[in-house]
Amino acid sequence: MLANLRLDLPDMPPEAEKLRAEVRAFIEEERKAGHLPPPEKIGLGFCRETTKRIAAKGWIGLTWPKAYGGSERTALERYVVTEELLAAAMPVGAHWVADRQSGPVLLKFGTDAQKEKYLPAIASGDSTFCIGMSEPESGSDLASLKSRAEKVDGGWKINGRKIWTTNAHRAHYMIALVRTSTVEGSRHAGISQFIIDLKNPAISVTPIISMAGEHDFNEVPLEDVFVPDDAMIGEEGNGWNQVSAELALERSGPERWLSSFRLLAELVDILGPDARPSSLEELGRLLSHLLALRQLSMSVASMIQQGQNPNVESSIVKDLGTKFEQETVRVIRNIVSSEQLTKNGQAQRLKMLLIHAQQYAPAFTIRGGTNEILRGIIAKGIGLR
Amino acid sequence: MSDNLLFFRDTAEKIFADTVDSNLIEAAEKRVPPQAMLDTLSENGIMMMLVPEEKGGIGASLIEANAILEAAGHAAAPGPILETMLAQSLLSQAGLEGTQGTIALGFCAADLDGNISLHDVNWGGGADNILIIANDAGKAKIALTPASDWEITGGENAACEPCDTLQRSALPPLTDAGDFNSIMRNAALLRAGQQIGAINWIFQRTAEYCGERKQFGREIAKFQVVQQMLAELAGHVLACNTLLDAAASTMNDALIAAAISRIADASDAAIAIGHQVHAAIGFSKEYPLNYRTRRLMAWREDFRGVQYWRGFLGGHAARSSRDELWPMLAATGLQTA
Repeated sequence: MLANLRLDLPDMPPEAEKLRAEVRAFIEEERKAGHLPPPEKIGLGFCRETTKRIAAKGWIGLTWPKAYGGSERTALERYVVTEELLAAAMPVGAHWVADRQSGPVLLKFGTDAQKEKYLPAIASGDSTFCIGMSEPESGSDLASLKSRAEKVDGGWKINGRKIWTTNAHRAHYMIALVRTSTVEGSRHAGISQFIIDLKNPAISVTPIISMAGEHDFNEVPLEDVFVPDDAMIGEEGNGWNQVSAELALERSGPERWLSSFRLLAELVDILGPDARPSSLEELGRLLSHLLALRQLSMSVASMIQQGQNPNVESSIVKDLGTKFEQETVRVIRNIVSSEQLTKNGQAQRLKMLLIHAQQYAPAFTIRGGTNEILRGIIAKGIGLR
Repeated sequence: MSDNLLFFRDTAEKIFADTVDSNLIEAAEKRVPPQAMLDTLSENGIMMMLVPEEKGGIGASLIEANAILEAAGHAAAPGPILETMLAQSLLSQAGLEGTQGTIALGFCAADLDGNISLHDVNWGGGADNILIIANDAGKAKIALTPASDWEITGGENAACEPCDTLQRSALPPLTDAGDFNSIMRNAALLRAGQQIGAINWIFQRTAEYCGERKQFGREIAKFQVVQQMLAELAGHVLACNTLLDAAASTMNDALIAAAISRIADASDAAIAIGHQVHAAIGFSKEYPLNYRTRRLMAWREDFRGVQYWRGFLGGHAARSSRDELWPMLAATGLQTA
C-alpha cells in the first residue's frame, strides 16, 4: 500500500527558472519568425525543422550524459522545457517519444555501442523513434502480444504485427516489444525489446486515419524482419520490466493534461473578465484541476530525479489528467454555446479548435494505456489487489 | 515534513483521539459545545498557535495550522476550532486583547447603522465570544464581543452544527485588522485543510472496509468495479494533498483558490464513492462515515463558498490574452528552492 497519498513538493533547482525564461524567449522568436501560427488543431504537431532548432538549443536529451549529446541537467529542468513547449503548442512530435522514453530506455538498459549509435542522433534532432507495443489482438492486455523473434544466425527474425504505432511513417526506428521465449507460468517473462530500423525494405508501414481526420497512427506488419544481435535492448526476457520503467515516464508528463490547453488559451482570449459568473466559475474549476495536475507532474519529475520509479503516481497523473482534458472540451463547448462566442462567424479559430478537440478527445483516455488499466495499477498500489 | 510540523500533527492527533468520540459529536449536533476537547486544545496552546511567541502564542505558520485542522477534519472534531485559532491571530495582529474562551466569526459590512444582523455564523450560539469582521471597502475592521451581547436565532448547517443568526442594536467600535480578502483567503485555506482531513479519513476507512465486507463469497475489494472506484478516489486524494501543500507553501492567491476549488470536487467524489462502497451501513447515523461526509457538505459553503473562489480564479484567468494564460498559471508554483 502506498504509505501516504501525498507527494513532496518539487525540489526545483535555481537554474530552472532561468531555463524557463530561455525557452520563452525561443518561443517568442519562433512566433516572430512565423514558425508558430496560432493552431486550429490540437495534438502534437510534427516538424523536423522545429525539432532541429530545439535540438540546437540543447533541449533534447537534457538530462543525458554529455558524452551522448545530453546536457546532464535535472529531470525538473526537463519538466520545465516540456511544459513550456507544450503550452505554446510547439510542434515537438519529431523528438517527443525519443526524448521522453526511447532515449532513457537505451540509457538505462542499452550497451555502450547502442548509446553511442542512437543517443547523439536523438539529441541532435535527427533521429525519430516510435513505440511498437500494441498489436491487433493485444491492446490493454499487452502481455498477450504475439509478435515473436526467433533466434537465427547473427541475429533474430521477427514475425508479427504492430498497430496504433504513432509516427511509424515518419520515424527512423521503432522499439518493438516481442516475445523471444515462452516461460511456463509467467506471461511477463520471455518478452524482449528490439530496435528495428524502419529503413529495412522488409517493412511496409500502412496508414490508419483517425476519426479526427489525421494520419498519425499506422499498422506495421513484421514479416521475416531480420535484426542483428546488437538490436536487442537489455537482457533477453527482461522486456516487461524495461517497459514498466518506461511507462512511468510516458504517463506522468505535462502532455497528459495539456492536450486541450490551446482551447483554454483561446477561450480566455475571447471570453474576457465580463463573462457570466457561471462561465468564470466553470473556467476557474477547470484551472484548479490543471494546477493540481501541474503540481503532481512536478512532484513526480522530482521523484524521477531522485531515482524512484513512481509507477502508481504516474498512473494517477494520467488517469486524472486525461479525464481533465476531456472535461475541458465539454465545459468549454458549453461556455462557448451559452455565451454565443462563435455566433455569426466570430471567433473562427476557437470554433475550429473546438470541433477538432471534440473529435480528438476520445483518444485522450485510451492512448498510452486506458484509464481502466491505469486504475488497476492504482488499485494494486493502494493494496486492493 | 519538518520536525515542527510532525510535532503539531502528532499532538493534535493525540488530542482528538483522546477527546473525540461519537457521543461528543452527537452532543455537538444538539448544540452542546465539545468543551473538554476545546479546553484541551486551549491548554496545549493550539488555539493560540497563530499568535506570535512574544504575544503569548506559538508563532506557527498556516502550514502548521493546516496540519492541526487536517487532524481535526480527520477526527470529525466539532466546534469552533478554526474560528478561534484565526480570531486569536487577528486580535493579536490588531493589537487587541485576546480571550480565554472560544470565538465564533461573524462577517458583515462596516457601514451598518442601527440593528445589525450576522448570518450563518458557525457556532454563533455556543461560542463564548463573537468576533465581528467587517468589510470596509476591502479593509477589515474587527471587534470582539461577548456572546451574551447578541440575540441568537438558532440554525444549522449540513453537519448539524450550529449555524446561527445573531442580532444586536449597533456595531461596537471597530479596530483596523488588515486586508479583508486576505482574512477570507486564509480562513478558506484553513477550512480546505479541515476538508482534506475528512477526505483522507473517508479514503482510508473505505479502503479498509473493502477488505472487511464480503459479498458473493469474497471481499468486495476483489471486485474490479470497486477497485476502480477506490482508484478514482485515490487520485483525488493525491492531487488535493499535494496541491494544498503547494498552496500553503507559496501563499499564492490563485493557487489557494485552486486548492479550495479542487478540494470541493474531491469532497463530492469522497461523499459519492465513500457512501456507494459502504452502501446501506454508511447511511446509518451510527456508522462514523456520515460525521465526515456531512461536514464536507457544510464546509464547502464557508468563507464565501467554493463558487466564489472558482469565479475568482476564472476571472483572474479571463483577464489574460491567449499567450498570457500559461505564464500566469506557471507563476503560481514554487519558484526556486
